[in-house]
Amino acid sequence: MSDLITLTIDGTAVSVPKGTLVVDAAKKIGNDIPVFCYHPKLEPVGMCRMCLVEIGLPVRDRATGELVLNADGTPQVNFGRTLQTGCTIVVSEGMVVRTNTQPVDEARESVIEFLLSSHPLDCPICDKGGECPLQNLTMAHGAGTTQMDYSLKLKMDKHVPLGELIYLDRERCIQCARCIRFQEEIVDDPVIRFHNRGRSLEIVTLSDPGFDSYWSGNTTDICPVGALTTSDFRFGARPWELIPVASISVHSPAGANLTFSTRREAKSGGRSVIKRVLPRQNENVNEIWIHDRDRFVHQFADAPDRLQKPLIRKNGQLVEAGWEEAIELVAHKLNGLGEKAAGLSGDRLSNEDLFLFQKFLRQGVKTPHLDLGNRTIMGGDVTAKVGISSGSNLGELGQGDAIVVVASDLHEEEPIWWLRVKQAAQRGATLVILSARPTRLDKFASHTIYYRPGEAVATTRQLLNAAKIAVETAEPDPIKTAADALINAQNLVAFYGAEGLTLAETDTIARLLGNLLLVKGEQPHAGRKNNGLIAVWPHNNTQGAWDMGIHPAFGPGYKALDIPGKDAAAIYAGVQSGEISALYVAGTDPIGDGLLADRGKLDFLVVQELFLTETAKLADVVLPAQSWAERDGTFTSGERRVQRYYPAIPPVGESREDWRILAQIGEKLGLGKTPFAASLVFKEVATAVPAYKGMDYRSLARVEEQWPIIGRSDLYYGGTAYDNKHGLGQQWAAAAEAAAVESFDTADTPTNQPDGIRLIRAAALFTPGTLINHAEVLAERLAKPTLWVNEADASHLQVADGYVVNVAVNGRAVPAIVQMNGKLLKGTAVLRGVPYFPGVVQLEVIGNR
Amino acid sequence: MTFTEKYAAEIEGIIARFPHKKSAVLPLMHLAQHYYGYMSDDAMREVAAILDLDPTHILSLAGFYTLYYEEPVGKYVLEICNDLACALRGADQFVEMACNKLEVGVDETTADGLFTIKTVMCLAACDRAPMLQCNLKFEEHLDEAKFDALLARLREQAAAETIETSVVEKITAYAKSGNQVSVIGNR
Ligand code: SF4
Ligand code: FES
Ligand code: FES
Repeated sequence: MSDLITLTIDGTAVSVPKGTLVVDAAKKIGNDIPVFCYHPKLEPVGMCRMCLVEIGLPVRDRATGELVLNADGTPQVNFGRTLQTGCTIVVSEGMVVRTNTQPVDEARESVIEFLLSSHPLDCPICDKGGECPLQNLTMAHGAGTTQMDYSLKLKMDKHVPLGELIYLDRERCIQCARCIRFQEEIVDDPVIRFHNRGRSLEIVTLSDPGFDSYWSGNTTDICPVGALTTSDFRFGARPWELIPVASISVHSPAGANLTFSTRREAKSGGRSVIKRVLPRQNENVNEIWIHDRDRFVHQFADAPDRLQKPLIRKNGQLVEAGWEEAIELVAHKLNGLGEKAAGLSGDRLSNEDLFLFQKFLRQGVKTPHLDLGNRTIMGGDVTAKVGISSGSNLGELGQGDAIVVVASDLHEEEPIWWLRVKQAAQRGATLVILSARPTRLDKFASHTIYYRPGEAVATTRQLLNAAKIAVETAEPDPIKTAADALINAQNLVAFYGAEGLTLAETDTIARLLGNLLLVKGEQPHAGRKNNGLIAVWPHNNTQGAWDMGIHPAFGPGYKALDIPGKDAAAIYAGVQSGEISALYVAGTDPIGDGLLADRGKLDFLVVQELFLTETAKLADVVLPAQSWAERDGTFTSGERRVQRYYPAIPPVGESREDWRILAQIGEKLGLGKTPFAASLVFKEVATAVPAYKGMDYRSLARVEEQWPIIGRSDLYYGGTAYDNKHGLGQQWAAAAEAAAVESFDTADTPTNQPDGIRLIRAAALFTPGTLINHAEVLAERLAKPTLWVNEADASHLQVADGYVVNVAVNGRAVPAIVQMNGKLLKGTAVLRGVPYFPGVVQLEVIGNR
Repeated sequence: MTFTEKYAAEIEGIIARFPHKKSAVLPLMHLAQHYYGYMSDDAMREVAAILDLDPTHILSLAGFYTLYYEEPVGKYVLEICNDLACALRGADQFVEMACNKLEVGVDETTADGLFTIKTVMCLAACDRAPMLQCNLKFEEHLDEAKFDALLARLREQAAAETIETSVVEKITAYAKSGNQVSVIGNR
C-alpha cells in the first residue's frame, strides 16, 4: 500500500505506483494529456511543452508539518504560478492536477500553433495522414486559426534519404527527438542526431550505410508526424485503406508479434497485398519494437517467382500439372516404400505442418527416417526439461538476477533477445558472456570470457565446475568469479547458440548449462518463473519442430522412439549409397545449402516449397506451398511461447498450406480425411503433445491489458505499433516446473582444435538466403562475405583490408573481403555473411588480391 | 599524414585531461579542423574513431557550434558579429563594406582562398563593436582603415607562409596546462 500514491486529476482520485509520471497517471484513468516528445518507453525530456497542465501541491504547516485545511475541511492546495510539464513531473501524495482549465487550453493551443508555424500542409499526400498525432492533436486542441503569415513559412528539403530504408521530410519534423532518443537509449545505435539549431534543426546521419541500425524502422512508428517514413511504404497507401492482420515473425526465434497492413489494390491486379509490417505489442516478447528484417522481409511473399502450380517431371522436364495428378503420383510412388523413404523439413513451417509431416512419414509412408534438413543446434530435449519457465518475462530481469550467453551473437541472431538482455543488464542484472570473439553485447556484460574456437565446451565445463565449488579458490580467476555471480543470482537465464560449434558440441553445451541451472539443488534456477535455458534457434519455429517430433529419435512431445531413424547426415549418405530411394523435402533446400551434392541414387524426389530452389530444380514433383502470410497457423518461440498468425493475403496461384498437402497425400495412404482447417490440426497437436494440452486457437488468441497503452485512437502515445487484439500466446511448461529433474549426462565431445588460425562462421542478421534475397528493399543491406582477421594474423597471411580472398571451407572455396579486426584474439578468424558451416576449420586462404 | 598521426602527442594530452574520453571531443575537433582546413566527413570520422563515438555525434556537434566549418573555408575566417549591440554600432554597414572590399558575399571565400566572411551572433565583446573574430582572435573597435590594415597584415603573413598558429597554440596550451578536470556526479 505504501508504494501507492494517491492524487486527484480533474476531480477524480487515482492511486498509482510511486515514481509514476503525471501523464501516465492520467492515462490510467483515460485522461489523455496530449504529448509529443514524451514516449512511455523513453526517458522524459520535456522538450515540446504539449503536456502543460496545472499542478497543485497540498500546503503544509511549516512548524507542524500538518496539512493546512480550508474552512470546509479540505486540504489547501497551492498551484504554482506557471503551468508544468506533466511528462516530467512525478506524482506525489495529495497532488491535484487540472487538465481542463482555460490556461491549459490556451497553452495547448499555443504549442500547436507554434509547431504548425512551419509545418507543411501536405497531409493529403503524407503517409502519416490519418494516423498522425500532430493531426489528431491539432483537431483536438488546435485553435483553427493562426497569427502566422504563411509566406514566412520555412521551406526545407522533403525527400532526404537517411540511407535507403528511411526517408526524412525536414519540413514535417517537429523536433521532438523521439527518434534520436530511441536510437540512443533503447537500441544503442546513436547513428542519427540533430544538426544545427533552432528552426534549422534537422535529423542527420553520418553512418555508412546511412542510418546503420537494425532497428531503424521503429523510428517511423514513434515519429509523431510524417517526418520519417520507410521506403517500402512511402506514398504506397493511405492508412485508412489498410486492414491490419496479426502475424508472427517468420524468421526469428523470439517470435516477435507483427501486424501486416494489407490492401486490395488495382495496382496488384485486384489482389490484397502487404503494404507494410508494423510491430504488434507483446510486452512479454518484443514490447513494441521489431527489427528491420521482420519489417522488410515480407516482400518475398508476393515475389513474382513464387511457385504457382504443381510441377511434375515429364521427359526430363518439370511441367505444370494439376493437384490431383501430383498428389496421386506422390502417393503412388511412396506407398509401401517404408524405410526406403525419408523426409526432411525446414524449421520455418508451422506446428500444424510439422506435426502432419512426421505423421505422414511415420504412419503413412511408414518410415522412421526424418529430420530437419539443416539442423545447426541441438538441445530441444534439454529445454523441454529446464527451459525458461512459463510465465517468464525477460523484461522483469534486473538487479540481483543474472544472464549467461554462450556462443551466440544475439545482436545478429535475434536482435529482440539482444535488446531484452541488454536492457536487463542496464537494469542491473549480471551478464556473463562466453564467446570466441567480441560481440555487441560485451559492452553491457559484467564478465566476458573469450575462448579460442574449439574450446567452448571446455570453457563452459570450467564454468560449471567452478559453480559447483562452494569454497573460494585461493586466487579467484575470471571464470570462478563469473560462476559465483551466476550461481548466487536470484534468477538465472542461460542462452546458448551454435557459433563455431559442431552439432554434438551444441548438445553438450545445452546439457552443461542445464546442469548449471540445477547446481543449486534446493532452489534450482529451473522450474521457477524467470529462470531457465533458452536455445538461440536459427529460425522462428525450430522449437516447434522439436515439439512436433521432427527428430529421428523423438516423436511428438519428446516421446523417445524405440528404434531411432536416420538423422539428416545419415539420410544424405543414404541418398548417395542408394539405401534411401525416395526423399520428401518440405521447406528446406539441402542442395542449395550444400549438404547434398545432387540426387544421388534417388528414384523419387518430392519438394514442397515456395520457390524453385536448387533441390526443387532436380525434383520429380514440386508442390507449391503457401507462405505464412497466406494462411493461419502457430509457431512456437524459443521461449516456448505458442503463438498464432493469421491469413493476410490470398494464396499465390494454386498453392496450398503445407499441412493440407501432406494430409491430402496422407489420405491416399490411409491416414483418414484431410482436416478442414489448421485449427483442427492444432487440436490433434494438443492431444499428441502433452505440453500443449489445453491449448487451442481460442486460448492462443487471448489478450489482456498491457502497459503502456498504445494503438487506440490516441496514437500519439506509442506511435503506430498495434494494440494486441489477436493473442499473446501461451508458454508451455518445462518439465522442471512440475517436478525436480535429474542432472544431465555431459559426456565429453570430440572437438576440432586445428593448428594455425582457427576459423569460425558468424551469423549476420542480413545473411543472404532464400527469403531475404526476395526483399528488394534490403538488397543493399545484405551482409557481404567478409573475413575478419586480427592484424598479426593478417600480416602473417599477407592480406590487408579490402583484399578479396578465397577461403577454403570443407572443400569449397568461399570468396570473401578481408577486414582487419583488432578486437579478435590472435589465431581466431571469422567468416561472416556466408552460408552456415559447423565447428572450427583451419583458415586456409587461397589466392588473394 | 592524418591529423591523428601528426598530433598524436597533443591528442593524448588532451584526452588525458578528462575523466571521460569523449569529453575531449571539442578540442579534438578544433585540432582536426585546423589541420584539414574544415570538418570534412572524413575528419569527423577520424575524430569519432579516436574517441569511440559514432561519427554522427561529431556531425551533430559540428552543426551545433558555429566555429566548426563543414565546407571548405579560406585560410582566414572573418566572423563578423552583427548581433544586436554590434548592429547598433554599424555592424551591418561594416559587413557590407568588408564584402565589397573582398568582392565576396557572406559565407563566401575569396578567389585566392585567403578570406571567408561569416556573420555570427554575439561574441561577448559588445563594448568594442564593431568587432570580428579571425581564427579565434578578436579584432575590435573596427572601422574601414583598421580592416584594411588587418587584411594587409594577414596577406603579408600568408605570403611569408608564417602559419597562423593561434589555434594549435591555444589547444595545445590547454592540453599542457595539466589541469585535471574532476568528475562532478557520474551516471
Ligand atoms: S523526425 Fe519525427 S521523431 Fe524525429 S525529431 Fe522529428 S518529429 Fe521527432
Ligand atoms: S514536454 Fe511533455 S510531452 Fe513534450
Ligand atoms: S552583439 Fe556583437 S559582440 Fe555582442
